[in-house]
Amino acid sequence: IVCAFQVLLMGKSGSGKTSMRSIIFANYIARDTRRLGATIDVEHSHVRFLGNLVLNLWDCGGQDTFMENYFTSQRDNIFRNVEVLIYVFDVESRELEKDMHYYQSCLEAILQNSPDAKVFCLVHKMDLVQEDQRDLIFKEREEDLRRLSRPLACTCFRTSIWDETLYKAWSSIVYQLIPNVQQLETNLRNFAQIIEADEVLLFERATFLVISHYQCKEQRDAHRFEKISNIIKQFKLSCSKLAASFQSMEVRNSNFAAFIDVFTSNTYVMVIMSDPSIPSAATLINIRNARKHFEKLERVDGPKHSLHMRMR
Amino acid sequence: MRIKSMMGMPTRIECIFFSEFHPTLGPKITYQVPEEYISRELFDTVQVYIITKPELQNKLITVTAMGKKLIGCPVCIEHKKYSRNALLFNLGLVCDARTNTCSLEPIVKKLSGYLTTLELHIGSIHMLVGSNSVLFFLNYESNTIHLKLIQLRKDPPIVQEYDVPVFTQCKDHFIKSQWDLTTQQILPYIDGFRHIQKISAEADVELNLVRIAVQNLLYYGVVTLVSIFQYSNVYCTTPKVQSLIDDKSIQEECLNYVTKQGQKRASLRDVFQLYCGLSPGTTVRDLCSRYSQQLQRVDERRLIQFGLMKCLIRRLQKYPVKVIRDERSRPPRLYTGCHSYDEICCKTGITYQELDERLENDPNIVVCWK
Repeated sequence: IVCAFQVLLMGKSGSGKTSMRSIIFANYIARDTRRLGATIDVEHSHVRFLGNLVLNLWDCGGQDTFMENYFTSQRDNIFRNVEVLIYVFDVESRELEKDMHYYQSCLEAILQNSPDAKVFCLVHKMDLVQEDQRDLIFKEREEDLRRLSRPLACTCFRTSIWDETLYKAWSSIVYQLIPNVQQLETNLRNFAQIIEADEVLLFERATFLVISHYQCKEQRDAHRFEKISNIIKQFKLSCSKLAASFQSMEVRNSNFAAFIDVFTSNTYVMVIMSDPSIPSAATLINIRNARKHFEKLERVDGPKHSLHMRMR
Repeated sequence: MRIKSMMGMPTRIECIFFSEFHPTLGPKITYQVPEEYISRELFDTVQVYIITKPELQNKLITVTAMGKKLIGCPVCIEHKKYSRNALLFNLGLVCDARTNTCSLEPIVKKLSGYLTTLELHIGSIHMLVGSNSVLFFLNYESNTIHLKLIQLRKDPPIVQEYDVPVFTQCKDHFIKSQWDLTTQQILPYIDGFRHIQKISAEADVELNLVRIAVQNLLYYGVVTLVSIFQYSNVYCTTPKVQSLIDDKSIQEECLNYVTKQGQKRASLRDVFQLYCGLSPGTTVRDLCSRYSQQLQRVDERRLIQFGLMKCLIRRLQKYPVKVIRDERSRPPRLYTGCHSYDEICCKTGITYQELDERLENDPNIVVCWK
């Protein structure tokens, strides 16, 4: 039994919806998205995630004619049974009023048809904003959006296809949809404590989005997760360009050792060890032994927990 | 843009439109003639088949909605010079929903190919204008596109080797060079008296090719078919012969056609008497001996030809049937009552006289006239 989520991806024409979708789910690198054409009407994609989760992604072309149709003749079809609305704003847009008008029309339709939907706003193309301005501009936008979205709540992210912020946003969105995430985290904690790891990350295998993590102490860089997603995903794609498939990686210096390896059939794991006395081999054996347990978790808990979710 | 049609149109085009994908507005109608013909509502209903997803691009698409039929061919030209990396447009025609639009399909395809070629080759104009050059072309007054509308007709009957093609109008009216090589080769042999087999032999063109060429001419109404002329033929009148009396134009045409070369025009009285003289049992030979006076100014061959072309008379053919036969012998191939003397003679090479002699003296065979 599989959980399916209807995810609406909307926003003005050219705001970057298809580019984002292509990078996260279709193995595009940022540069390749330049070749993409305009989305005609709605493009549906069926993304399998973590084995038991399906995202029905509705990438909706943002040209005026299409938008008007979504709010009128296609209203029920588009806005009913939506679990997630991801609305993309081009930070450079010169038509802020028009953008907000469309956004609010969307929220209206959501309120009428899927009032329980989670709303995420991505303030996109942040790379085009001067670096020292980014925080300020994002904060302003976030405030406006929060205000305009009432009574609905929205979660805002600043994103760009050229850095890790894209992964942060999509990870956070997807994280909220994973059926057994608490269980995963509990088990990950146990595993980390047993092997005496500093930190353990769990990635979804195809997208490399971080779906779960454990850390035993504070770390310097709060953005390290998405950075790692970004780096490893790029590396994985580079490998496949050479007809090689990425399997595992070990990085070590005098302070730490990091192991990235295939974990279950749907995940990768990253283990950070700061105790230099523990040999690699031991950690690798531990990872191998943990695999079976987590594999079982994936298979068993999926169906059980999905009973709590709406079925498609 | 002016479109000239060269042949009469039973298919009426009510509107021509040019639709394109605008990078921020989306699919829209940039031009339509007459203006405002396609309503906002209609376009919203069908736009997904006008400016389409990749799977439907570069294919002829006809969509019917709200009492109208829209025939178009959505074109996509990919290039990074265009905003959103592609130019999407569709030049289409609108007709009433009940119209048979088959004849318009090649036109739409041709137009879309034409505009595509223009866009690809005048790409520089596009860059100068800053929008697409297709629009620029349409604004360019001295451009005219000539189109030929292919009329839809019924399938012609199969042409047999014993059929005789005859021109429905004066041969000289048709420009030879417009026809294919086979047709050009056989044209001099179409005289209203030579049958297909003879044309094939004399023009030295393979029989099937002659049949197809004549069938083509038949389809376009350039020729009609009559039967082989022989003095032994028997004809009878049809009810349509009355039109000779009633219809002045047929009268005129007839008298002009049947008058002997170099003679004063034949009289209607004589011609009508001659046609009425044709009856079952009367051969053309008989007619000639009985009506020699009326035939002074009338060419009997052309008389018969005209009568057949206009269906004033019809031929009575002989069909042999083998009625008594041996249980041991094979079933008859040609003597089934379905094959005329004309056909048998053509297929076997025997002359009419020989066949007649053979069959009249055969007690097992009965000849039907029909």
